[in-house]
Amino acid sequence: MRFRGHEYRVDRGHLVFVCAIAAAVAWYLFDTRSVSTSVNNLLLVEPVSLFALAMAALIIPQCFVRADHAENTEEKKEEEYDPLAPKLPTERAQVIKMLSLGVSLGVFVFALNVIGFDIAIFLFAMAAMAICGERRPLHLVLFSAAVAAAAIYGFRMLIPYPMYTVIL
Amino acid sequence: MIDFSAFLDALGIMATSAGSWGWIVPGLIVGLVFSAIPGVSITMAMAIVLPMSLYMDFFSAVVFLTSVYTGAGFGGSVPAILMNIPGSPASYATTFDGYAMSKKGQHNEALGYALFASTICGILGYVLLLFVVEPLAHIVLRIGPLEMFAVAIWGMLLLGSLGSKYVTRGLLAAAFGVLLGTVGMNTAGFIRGTMGFPTLLDGISPIPAMIGLLAAGQLLTLAGKDYILDAEEARKVSVKKILSGCWGTLKYPGVLTRGSIIGIIIGAVPGVGSSVGNLIAYAETKRTSKDSASFGKGNPKGVIAAESAVASAEGGSMATMLALGIPGGGATAILLAAFMMHNIVPGPTFIENQKPMVYAIILNNIVQAIALLGVGIGFIYVASMVVKVRTRYILPAILVIATLGTYAVDGSPSGPITLFVFALIGFALVRYEYPVAAVVVGILLGRMLETEFLRSYQLSGGNPLYILQRPGAMAIVGVMLLSFVMTAWGKRKQARMEAEEEAAMEKLHRDDIAGARKT
Repeated sequence: MRFRGHEYRVDRGHLVFVCAIAAAVAWYLFDTRSVSTSVNNLLLVEPVSLFALAMAALIIPQCFVRADHAENTEEKKEEEYDPLAPKLPTERAQVIKMLSLGVSLGVFVFALNVIGFDIAIFLFAMAAMAICGERRPLHLVLFSAAVAAAAIYGFRMLIPYPMYTVIL
Repeated sequence: MIDFSAFLDALGIMATSAGSWGWIVPGLIVGLVFSAIPGVSITMAMAIVLPMSLYMDFFSAVVFLTSVYTGAGFGGSVPAILMNIPGSPASYATTFDGYAMSKKGQHNEALGYALFASTICGILGYVLLLFVVEPLAHIVLRIGPLEMFAVAIWGMLLLGSLGSKYVTRGLLAAAFGVLLGTVGMNTAGFIRGTMGFPTLLDGISPIPAMIGLLAAGQLLTLAGKDYILDAEEARKVSVKKILSGCWGTLKYPGVLTRGSIIGIIIGAVPGVGSSVGNLIAYAETKRTSKDSASFGKGNPKGVIAAESAVASAEGGSMATMLALGIPGGGATAILLAAFMMHNIVPGPTFIENQKPMVYAIILNNIVQAIALLGVGIGFIYVASMVVKVRTRYILPAILVIATLGTYAVDGSPSGPITLFVFALIGFALVRYEYPVAAVVVGILLGRMLETEFLRSYQLSGGNPLYILQRPGAMAIVGVMLLSFVMTAWGKRKQARMEAEEEAAMEKLHRDDIAGARKT
């Protein structure tokens, strides 16, 4: 993107994320105001929401970085050692593994009460093992079954709430 | 300060109820194991074993439950150090340097630091409680909602100094977290942001949200790795190194003392507890330390500060409960329930009438802290084996336990769903360099912030000058401002030093090039 004679790189993902937070905050403020405009309702929510929106407005320009600056920053980042800096996978295979595990987790949590905790845990454990690189069928089945059994019987002893199961 | 005749009677109770001592080790093991499971908090562990204490005599029941409390205080730091997942909110600050040490292959030492800091400061907290239990009753009565609000705001704003590279992103994350913490029905009866879901009436459940936010950053990204720790050396378990970590703790008496004092004070404030105490202790240690730049990158002082505050907060919250009958947090609320099940109501009258029993409870907690050292080393040895297991086995197991842990909160599917939603948010936060800590603490404190602010507003009638009538609140605000000025000054000094160092290196490099050209 070109602006005032300079080439800019847009971090679209970050821009979408900031806008999503700002939209969520704006919706929450709107929802709170629609309930009541009493001080008892807005005392904390309104000032904090406005503050959050102001912060989001200040962050949005950070999503547009001059191309020459972006290159320098990337070089500098590679030189620095920071064990807690976010190190998300960059290789295609790793990204696919990570996304697959995320999707499996999503399917798992929504399937718990539908297909039963035992079946859901067994299938999720098997899927997660396969995603992480396990290919031996016997290991996949036995370990997943062990995880499902240990989790179901262990949590049944610990928690007072019922868990819907099909086999165990 | 100590009633010696009551103290001697307490020693008599300790000697005659030797059977109660047998509950210390099982209690510690229950606490350690439960809190090491991500999602099972100290409160939950104590709530689960509470019915068991019904069948014990009063002293045995209190010994057992306080042992669970002591064990759980340290147990949470094991997954915090090994996997960057705090077993309970109280261990959150332990992840900052504990996990960084683990990534450098120093997980044994980090666990040793955490264990010894927990033991020493646990003892310190209770020794202090022994002296102050009587006068404290008078002080705590003066804490009002404005002081509570000021302490919570302090805890929240301190997150800005907890290693956030971009201040604006840190503040947005904190504000976003606070707003998430206010979802549901507030104390004035207004319902906001529930989108029609009845489960959100009580607000967003903080435990599933916390696990989700943290799980995304670490667990999902581990999918591409064969082992949690890359280096082969880093997966070795060594009792010798654990003990060297334990011994190394004694090199930092100042950090231990500061952490303890902060932990005791914050722990004594009802509703705030060790989940804020460990953050404040960490931030204050970082701020006052000469090597503050190395915090968050594996500085042992960070682990010691956080753990010392957690351990000593137990003494502080027990002080409030014994002196006033007000639980400092969820765990002491369970203890209060145990007292009541045995027809005993703690408070100033209980201290006055049952002084030997109060001293016996405190003395027994000191014994528990000492016992934790032995039991804890054995537990660490077993827990450290976790890093030896391949990711393909440990990852599905942890994700299943974490998901079921969120289900255990209230037995509804909302827990696991909250975990998943916050896993996605957490992933984005990590990806775009927002401090996840700020959102987590915001969720934990949002409701309390609003409630205390509302109470202060109602008490003052909307007059901001009300603060002038509250010297305690003024003192907290004063300390808070001073703390920020010192942080800003420290950061500026650090930036100047880094710039000078960079300039010196640049000059050296130029001189080298010039020298090479001449020759």
